[in-house]
Amino acid sequence: MICSKAYYFNLFQVDENLLDSLTQEGLRSGGSYCDLFFENTTYGSLLLRDGAVTSGGNHVDFGVGIRVLAGEKTGFAYSESTSPADMTACARAAAQIASAPVDVSPYGTRNPIRGEPNPAADRYPLAQPWRGVPMSSFLPFLQKLEADIQRRDTRIVKVIVNLAFQVSDILMYNSSKELKWDTRPMGSVSVSVVFQQGTQTENKSTSRSFRCGAEMLSDALIQEMAADVVKGIDERFAARRPKGGQMPVVMGAGASGILLHEAMGHAFEADFNRKGTSIFADKMGKQICPKGIQIIDDGTLAGNRGALNFDDEGIPGQKTYMVEDGVLTSYLHDRISAVHYGVRPTGNGRRESFRYAPLPRMRATYMESGTAKAQDLIASVGKGIYVDEFSNGQVQIGEGDFTFYVKAGFLIENGRLTMPVKDINIIGNGPAALADMQGVADDLAIDPGAWTCGKEQSVPVSCGIPTVLIGHLTVGGE
Amino acid sequence: MNALLTQQEIALAQHCLAYAQEQGAQGVRITLSKTLMNLIGLLNGQVDKTAHALDRSLQIQLLVDGRFGTFSSNRLEQKGLEEFIRDAIGTVRMLEADSYRALPAPERLVKNAVTGRELDLYDPAYDDLTAEQRREMALQSTAWPQPGLIAEEGEYSDSVFDSLTLDSQGLYARHTETSFEIGYESTVEDAEGNHLSSYWWDATPRLKDLKLKGCAEKAFRRAKEQIGPQGVPSGKYTLIVDNECAAKLLTPVLNALGGYSLQQKNSFLVDSLGKKLFPESLTILDAPLTQGDTGCRLFDSEGVATREMPVIEKGVVKTYFLNTYMSAKMGLEPTIEDITRAKVLPTGGCSTQEDVLQKVKDGILVTGFNGGNSNPATGNFSYGVEGFLIKDGKKVHPVREMLITGDFLTLWNNLVAAAQDARPCQSKLVPTLAFKNVDFSA
Repeated sequence: MICSKAYYFNLFQVDENLLDSLTQEGLRSGGSYCDLFFENTTYGSLLLRDGAVTSGGNHVDFGVGIRVLAGEKTGFAYSESTSPADMTACARAAAQIASAPVDVSPYGTRNPIRGEPNPAADRYPLAQPWRGVPMSSFLPFLQKLEADIQRRDTRIVKVIVNLAFQVSDILMYNSSKELKWDTRPMGSVSVSVVFQQGTQTENKSTSRSFRCGAEMLSDALIQEMAADVVKGIDERFAARRPKGGQMPVVMGAGASGILLHEAMGHAFEADFNRKGTSIFADKMGKQICPKGIQIIDDGTLAGNRGALNFDDEGIPGQKTYMVEDGVLTSYLHDRISAVHYGVRPTGNGRRESFRYAPLPRMRATYMESGTAKAQDLIASVGKGIYVDEFSNGQVQIGEGDFTFYVKAGFLIENGRLTMPVKDINIIGNGPAALADMQGVADDLAIDPGAWTCGKEQSVPVSCGIPTVLIGHLTVGGE
Repeated sequence: MNALLTQQEIALAQHCLAYAQEQGAQGVRITLSKTLMNLIGLLNGQVDKTAHALDRSLQIQLLVDGRFGTFSSNRLEQKGLEEFIRDAIGTVRMLEADSYRALPAPERLVKNAVTGRELDLYDPAYDDLTAEQRREMALQSTAWPQPGLIAEEGEYSDSVFDSLTLDSQGLYARHTETSFEIGYESTVEDAEGNHLSSYWWDATPRLKDLKLKGCAEKAFRRAKEQIGPQGVPSGKYTLIVDNECAAKLLTPVLNALGGYSLQQKNSFLVDSLGKKLFPESLTILDAPLTQGDTGCRLFDSEGVATREMPVIEKGVVKTYFLNTYMSAKMGLEPTIEDITRAKVLPTGGCSTQEDVLQKVKDGILVTGFNGGNSNPATGNFSYGVEGFLIKDGKKVHPVREMLITGDFLTLWNNLVAAAQDARPCQSKLVPTLAFKNVDFSA
């Protein structure tokens, strides 16, 4: 949502003269660039547990982060007050990074991006607001969702439904006199269910998260999530640990996009490459995976959890091709790394809140569809594993070793899905896995879950992928 | 800038407590907290970033007409907070009633946390630190340059945390703590151009105890040790877990003893109280009252007094972690909201990691985890690991891209040794551990 400039100025009690004087204060020790990031975030939550919505609350987070750059060096401070005196003190603290003038300026100093935000281009308009609405209006959604889940399986013993929403008003200004504003909504519903079958206990969970208003709380979402959270519970009870070792892995469309996030996305974030730590630091312009593969990081998907009108440095949201036809064509840049590499920023400068300086971070990361059929990829595997439900992942940037935790999948034996498997970790090496991608199906899906990336700071992201076959990954097992 | 809570801020919290009751809340708990942090980041021996931050937050928990809600704000102006409280009370009234909600019984509340300094975790040296001294300490800690070291990132930081919890029964509980930290991540390159990284860190509540020198060198040494990894066959090995990362295998066990997991039956330790589910050799304590020990607290988030107690004693589960709400729901006596300072007692006659390696002779020493997770309902786990193949008590070569898989009850029942080398800077005091017959995939 994009409101009027006056709304943000009134909210933060600033005007353009004050903003300008603060950036000048930040540059007084010789810094080359200063930016201000104002934030007013309101959070709301409701929790249904044991059949009743008995817990809820609201939270307010308000403040301004001030960053001063001296070349590639960063001075950062923040204030929870926007009084001129407090902000000036904050700017002086950030200014200390620059002990002498430097002649390297971040992107925008010489090519400022002017122009006001355009409400017509908003990627997350609100049909129904979260703020200013009685919390009681959301209770029926939680109650109906719980009832729908309960009626679907007699083995259910516990259901937790959590609704969390936040709306962030953002105002950004910098020493190049770029002024941007934005209001970012996020609604998330998560469900956790415990099942008992004889002496066995199993749990399942699902989530949905979008940059949108309360219109997401629909009957259609209730049916979709209720069906999703009970789907596959028979297989979960029947699942076994497979025999571990290296084997082909078919990754189902959608949530398997975690592979791209962990195995490649982080290694493409330009700060790791600027520092020389990434395993992809010297791979720009080189073939890193088979021809025909496109890997994208995208801030332009309307309503997506990773969508941005502007990143947290005021750079317009955009779609970035990281890999084109198998060739590494772009890292993910913030203003600092863009200057280092002599390219335009890609709109990936993101931060958890005003309490953090921005870093290059992913948005919605996915691979474009290929031409194969998912069933053909499965049929091509003699002995391997199929996975499509995950909880978390991790990567070691220098080595490129990545892992992701598989909640559910199947063994593949002689081209067919056979025994269900669960609770296994899979490990591989990013460059090796990319080069070993043996097939890409035509069924790209973006996962709608509440993915959060935790690289130093937590930011909302999403991921997607078509069904893919990787020749060799190490699968945990017995 | 005043790093500690001021009398004016405390008076504001007390006003909010009274105001919420005036507006109709029958039970109120307020936690006011303040953190001041300074950070100097280095990249390859040069200052790369600085950060300065002051955080304040007022959390309000309200019991209104049998209903409960939690609210917080960092906008600490009285008029705004009064409006916030009125809105919060209105919101709580919209929720469903919950007869299990209550403040803790007054006799369980802490009585001796008045100044915040009772545990001797506040270092007055913090008050005298200057920006220049911080910068100097950071610059002194670097190991850059070194042959083979291609990137070194370091951070020096210090902070002071001050919190006060009040409730409508008269609770007054303050905790004040300083922290000084140094951390490094080093990346080296082998002859084939492969990058290998490792880290090291130290933290302490007293500046004089901070090991500034040696941290960067240790991170570099740990990175170099990883050069030349070799594969090993999948199979069962003795798992030795370094004291730096051993807590990873204990945390899910402690989580499974938490009231929220148990009450929702999302725990592999449901109905475990009083049962001997672990080996005779395993004893885990909660030791929250040690003077000067990081992580110790006199009270939990409800203001309930902590105490020294066994969690698992000679293999027997001795306690759950139950706050007032969960204990009422489960019909059990309340204990403490969560473990404060977990401490695994030694077993197997080993003091050091060297002793453990000599005891087990062969196995795989895990020095780092790479992802993975566990299923709280079943206790099944699978983690990525890296470390060293051990033969005859010695490191043979590094290993990586491996996985360990199993379930926690079986794992802990295969405990063969726990040393006495827990790192005080860790939140849980878990020493080097050794477990037999663990499945490794490679």
